[in-house]
Amino acid sequence: MNTTITANKKEIIIAEANKLRWELGENLHDILMENIYENATEIAKKTVKYPDTKIAFSFDRQLDKILTSKYFGFPIMFLMLGIVFWLTIQGANYPSSLLANLLVDTIHPLLKNFAGSINLPWWLTGVLIDGAYLAMAWVVSVMLPPMAIFFPLYTLLEDFGYLPRVAFNMDPLYKKVGAHGRQALTMAMGFGCNAAGVIATRVIDSPRERLIAIITNNFSLCNGRWPTQILIATVFIGSAVPAYLAGIVSAAAVVFIAVLGITFSLLVSWFLSRTLLKGEASAFSLELPPYRPPRILQTLYTSLIDRTIFVLWRAIVFAIPAGMVIWLVANITIDGVSVANHFIQWVNPVAFIFGLNGVILLAYIIAIPANEIVIPTILMLTVANLGIQGVGAGSGVMFELESANDVAAILQAGGWTLLTGINLMLFSLLHNPCSTTIYTIYKETKSVKWTLVSTFLPILMGLTVTFFVTQIWRLLGN
Amino acid sequence: MNEPLTLLLIGVLFLLLMFILLQPTKGIIPTIRRNKSANQKALLEDALKFIYNCEYNNISCTLNSIAGNLNISADAAAGIVAKLQNMGMIQVDKEYIALTSEGRSYALRVIRVHRLWEKFLADETSMTEKEWHKAAEEIEHKLSDEDANKLAAQIGNPVFDPHGDPIPTAKGEIPEKVGKHLTEMKPGEMATIIHIEDEPHTIYSQIVAEGLYPGMQIRMNEVNDKRVKFEANGDECILSPLIAKSITIGPIKLEKPVEGKLKPLSSLKVGEKGIVLGIAKSLRGQQRRRLMDLGIVPGTEIEAELESVTGDPVAYRVRGTTIALRKNQADKIYLVKEEERN
Repeated sequence: MNTTITANKKEIIIAEANKLRWELGENLHDILMENIYENATEIAKKTVKYPDTKIAFSFDRQLDKILTSKYFGFPIMFLMLGIVFWLTIQGANYPSSLLANLLVDTIHPLLKNFAGSINLPWWLTGVLIDGAYLAMAWVVSVMLPPMAIFFPLYTLLEDFGYLPRVAFNMDPLYKKVGAHGRQALTMAMGFGCNAAGVIATRVIDSPRERLIAIITNNFSLCNGRWPTQILIATVFIGSAVPAYLAGIVSAAAVVFIAVLGITFSLLVSWFLSRTLLKGEASAFSLELPPYRPPRILQTLYTSLIDRTIFVLWRAIVFAIPAGMVIWLVANITIDGVSVANHFIQWVNPVAFIFGLNGVILLAYIIAIPANEIVIPTILMLTVANLGIQGVGAGSGVMFELESANDVAAILQAGGWTLLTGINLMLFSLLHNPCSTTIYTIYKETKSVKWTLVSTFLPILMGLTVTFFVTQIWRLLGN
Repeated sequence: MNEPLTLLLIGVLFLLLMFILLQPTKGIIPTIRRNKSANQKALLEDALKFIYNCEYNNISCTLNSIAGNLNISADAAAGIVAKLQNMGMIQVDKEYIALTSEGRSYALRVIRVHRLWEKFLADETSMTEKEWHKAAEEIEHKLSDEDANKLAAQIGNPVFDPHGDPIPTAKGEIPEKVGKHLTEMKPGEMATIIHIEDEPHTIYSQIVAEGLYPGMQIRMNEVNDKRVKFEANGDECILSPLIAKSITIGPIKLEKPVEGKLKPLSSLKVGEKGIVLGIAKSLRGQQRRRLMDLGIVPGTEIEAELESVTGDPVAYRVRGTTIALRKNQADKIYLVKEEERN
C-alpha cells in the first residue's frame, strides 16, 4: 500500500518536473553552464596566482609567427617532412638488411636443418617454416626498421608542438574538401604506416572528419609500398627511357604515384563528405599547445611501445596464417597442377582486361597481411607458374633478388610489359588496405559498414583506373 | 570481345549507368526508395497531423484544406477522411472535422517522432536546417513508439524541437500554446523568439536565411502593414508581415538582456580583445558543446592571436590556451570589443 503511494507521488513529481521544463524553455543547459563558469572564474580570481610566463609566451608567439607565416610556413613544412622521410628511408636500409640476414638467411636454413634432423614431414616443414616463419621473418625485417625510425621522429615533432601548426596551415585545403586540418597529420603518418595513420585519426575529435580521415588514409603510400614502387619504376619505367635519364624518370614516376595518392585522398574526402558521410556530425576545433622541449626518452618509449610494437604485433599475427596459405596454395595440387596455378590460369583473362595478370591478383589476395611481402610473393608465384628452375628456394618459398635486372628477367619471362608495370604501380596505390589496417579500421570505427567501405572503395577505384589506363594505352599503342 | 575500344565504351557506359542509378537524391534508386515511403499509412498519419495542427492553432479544418495540405485530390481526401472515421480517429459533423481522443493521441505520437527526429538531426548530425523537416516527414511514419523512446533517452529527453515547438511526452502530453506572433509586438518591446514555423518551406527558408533562430533576443522598432522592423542580437532585420507571422515570441526569462550592437568573433583583428556575449543557437549539438567546453561562454575574455597562411582558421587565446577556429564558427560567436565596452 505504502509503495503504491510513493510510486504515485514519484509520477506526480516527474509530471510536474516535465511541465516546468517546458516553462523554462530550452536555454536552461546553456545558462547553467554559464553560471558554473562564472562562479569558477570568480573563485579562481580570488585564490589562484599565476606565475609570470610572459617570456616563454612571447617566444611561442615569435616562433608561431615564423612557422605560420605566408613565406616560410609551407617551405619549412616541406623541409621538415622531407628530412623525416629521408632519414627513414636511408636509415632503415642497413638495419633491414641486417635483420633479413639474420632472420631469413641464417635462422631460416637453421630451422630447416633442425626440422630435417627430427624428421618432420616435408609438408609440416613447408607450412611452418617456409610458410608461417618466413612470412613473419619477412614482415619483421622490412617493417620494423622504418617504423622504429619514422615513429619516434614523428612523435618528436608532435611533442615539440610543431605538428598542430602544420594542421593549422593546411586546414584551408582540407576545409574545402569537407575534412579536418589534422587529416594532414594522419596522412603524413600514413606514409609511414596506414594502420598507425588510422590510429592517429584519434586526434580528430569530430566524428565525420575522423571517418573521412580513416577511409582515405590508405591513399597515403605506406612504407611497405615504397619499395614496390621503386623496384617496378626502376625495372619498367627506368628501362623504357635512355640510360642517363633512367634514375630521374623512375624517381619522378614514384613521386607522381605518391602525389596521385594525395590527390585521390582529397578527391575521395570531398566525395565522401558530400555523399555517404553527409549527415555525420561535425565539429571543428584545433588546439595550438605551447612549444616545449621534446622529452626524448619518453618519446622513444611511447613511439616504440605504443606504435611500433603494437603495429608490428598485429602484422605478425596476420602474417603467420597468410604465410601458411601462401605455401599451401603453391603446394597443394589438383590434377598435378597447384591451386595457385589453377587460380592464375582462371583469372588471367579477366586480369588481362585490367592490364594486370593472374599472378598479381593472386599475390594481392594472399599477401594481404603486409604490402612488404607482395613482391616476394609475386616472384615466387611467377617462378612456380612458369616452372623456372634454379631461381628461388622452392615451391611456396618467398624470395627476393639482389639485382633489379634479375627481377626484370623473371617478370618479363612472366609476360610483363611496361603497361603491366604501370598498372601494378597504380594498383599498389589503389587497392585494399593490408589486413592489419583493415583490422585497425574495424577496431577504431567499431563499424562493419565503414570497414567494408574502406576496404572495397580503393579496390573499385584501382580497377577502374587500371581499366581505363589499359584500354587507352592499347588504343594508342595499336 | 577484348577490343580495347569496345571495352572502353562498355566501361564508360557502365560508369554512366552507375551514376544515373546511384546519384544522391536525383538518382533512380534514391527516387524509388522515396516513392515507396509515400504509401497509404503515411497519408492517413499526415491527415491526422494536419487536423491536430488545425485544432492547436484554432483553425477550422475542412475537406478542401486537407486535400490542399496533403497535395491530393478532394476525392482522395474524402476517402481518407472516411477511413479515419471508420477507424474511430475523427468525428465528422457536417463540414467540421474533429479528432477523437484516440485520434489525438495517435497524432501526438506521430508528432513526437517528427520533433524528436528533428532535434536529433539538429544536435547529432551535420544536416542543415532546411533538410530536417523533410527527413522527419519520412521517419515519422516508420519509427515505432519503443524506438522513439530509445531515441529520446539517447538525446537527453528534450522538451523542445529545434524550431521551438514542444515535443509531446510518451504519454501524449503537450503544453498549452503560449506566446504571440511577432506582428503583435509593440515598438520598443523586448522579447525572445520561441518558435519558428517550418511550413511552408519557402517562408521558413527565408527566415533561416535572415539568420533568425529560437532563443534569439529581439527589440521591436516598427510594426505596420508593410513591414516589421526589429533588432535581433543587435542586427537590424526587416521582414514582411506575412513572413513575420511565422515567428512566435515570448518574454525574456532566464537570459541576461543583451543591449547594443554585437560583433562576431571573426571581426577581431590579430591582437584585439573582446568579451564573449554568447554563441548563436544555430551552432548546435557537438559544435556548441565543444565551444562551451573550451570555455567560450558569456563573460570570457578572448583575443585573436594568430592568422594561418590564408587567414582562415584564426587562432584565439581563451582562458590560457590557444584554439584555432574556422571563420564559419567565429561568425556565430558574439562579443563586444574591449575598447567599446564602456
